[in-house]
Amino acid sequence: MARNRRNWCVVAGAATAAFFIGSNVAWAHHEIAAKFDSSKSVDLKGIVTYVDWRNPHAHVFVNVKTGNEVLNWAIELESPTILEMDGWTSSTLRPGDAITVKGPRARDGSRQVWGGDQVRFTETGLQVFPAKLHPSRAAAASRPAPRGPDGHPALSGLTPAAEGYWTDPSKTSMVEDGVDVKSDEWGLLADLTDAGKVAPMQPWALGVYRHRQERQLRDDPMYLKCKPPGGPRQYESRLGIQFVEDRPHQRIFVLMGSGNHNYRIIYMGQDRKTGLVTGDDDNPLYFGRSSGKWDGDTLVVDTIGFNEDFWFTNGGLPHTSQLHLVERFTRPDFDTLRYQVLVDDPGAYTRNWTASWTMNWKSGSVPFYFCQNNRP
Amino acid sequence: MLRSLTRSVVVLLATVLAMPIYAQEGHPLKGSWIGVWESNKDAGDDIIMVLNWDGKAVSGIINPGTDNMKIGSATLDPNGWKVHIEADGKSKQGAALHYVIDGTIKDLELPARFITGTWQSQTGKGKFEVRRQ
Repeated sequence: MARNRRNWCVVAGAATAAFFIGSNVAWAHHEIAAKFDSSKSVDLKGIVTYVDWRNPHAHVFVNVKTGNEVLNWAIELESPTILEMDGWTSSTLRPGDAITVKGPRARDGSRQVWGGDQVRFTETGLQVFPAKLHPSRAAAASRPAPRGPDGHPALSGLTPAAEGYWTDPSKTSMVEDGVDVKSDEWGLLADLTDAGKVAPMQPWALGVYRHRQERQLRDDPMYLKCKPPGGPRQYESRLGIQFVEDRPHQRIFVLMGSGNHNYRIIYMGQDRKTGLVTGDDDNPLYFGRSSGKWDGDTLVVDTIGFNEDFWFTNGGLPHTSQLHLVERFTRPDFDTLRYQVLVDDPGAYTRNWTASWTMNWKSGSVPFYFCQNNRP
Repeated sequence: MLRSLTRSVVVLLATVLAMPIYAQEGHPLKGSWIGVWESNKDAGDDIIMVLNWDGKAVSGIINPGTDNMKIGSATLDPNGWKVHIEADGKSKQGAALHYVIDGTIKDLELPARFITGTWQSQTGKGKFEVRRQ
């Protein structure tokens, strides 16, 4: 009997999922606020019918008794990649489980709720998916940064067994150093009147930035079109970045867990390369052309040659092809990467400005996440 | 008649669908724009504009080719996304013409954003509408 009920749940849930998935583009990756309205919170209590464990967002379908009828709701969660980083799997929740959910409802009025970290087992009240974009940082005993054979701090693990990557950025949107402006994890400002404080934008750039913010960042080409996270944005994702230092060839690869698992190349002690891989003036790139050098224990990377087809930071700060970045990477101890970027873009800003944050070391390889897995 | 109309529609649709629209997240005016300035007896109804932004000013050209017109000034007011463009051309008789275009950017967030408004010169005026390619 219980088995029949579970099978029915699966069939009904799959059919509902197929309907939702086939009906519109709402399943594509997006900023949370672009799809869900935090001012319209709903409480749901129901039975899980189906778990759709796929990027860019996992979904749990729930039958909720409403008056005399049972309605199926879709509970949207973070990407499986992020959920798995927190230790959860596709079978953590199963059809037949009783859960409660409290979260913002979809702006379009459809029966969809952002579950975030507010999904709980009804019976025990225990949290199911504690997805956290900013997990609390455990106070780790300070260990010295490892050094490579050249004496400079190693930004990667020095052996395959000691491999690791940088994650948990202390900031996930860019604001000029020294400016206190509140925003959510995706760079959506808490108060739009703060827009002019974020960076010294030219009037047109401020107008574009405000427009993107007013639209809850729903036009973000990284989500809509799988555009790479060029510029500082590659360091704003919890999916992280991994350095691979190729000393014999005097270059450093930066592998990204976000975007399309992209990478960029920093050429050390050389002029900026031209050609297919690193671009030239006729072929501006998402990651530009980078050359690096060591300044004491700091890796300084100079990059030009960006195209204008992407947002170079969460939150939608504009840039132009005149963008010139000077990035400084420092590893003050084993577990900390300090990142500072100077933005020099006279096409969009009235002066140069800097932003900085830190990232934490995590053992292992950078997680796999492919934007191409977006649906539909 | 109907077959001819159908064929025209199909050709038009194929042309529109074949046009590449490049993403452009920088200055909203930068890029190539194609559209119409209606009732322009001197330059014809069709117009192509190529605009650039150097960080201080918008520059560009109208109808690049044998009858191109250099844009003398172009401004963008982010308050309402108002566009003002002035350019100098010639009439069919070779007389100097000064064009003034005033419009508004619509669908700002889209690569295929468009400008709608009016144009005028000494010899005429009309509706102006161009879409970014």
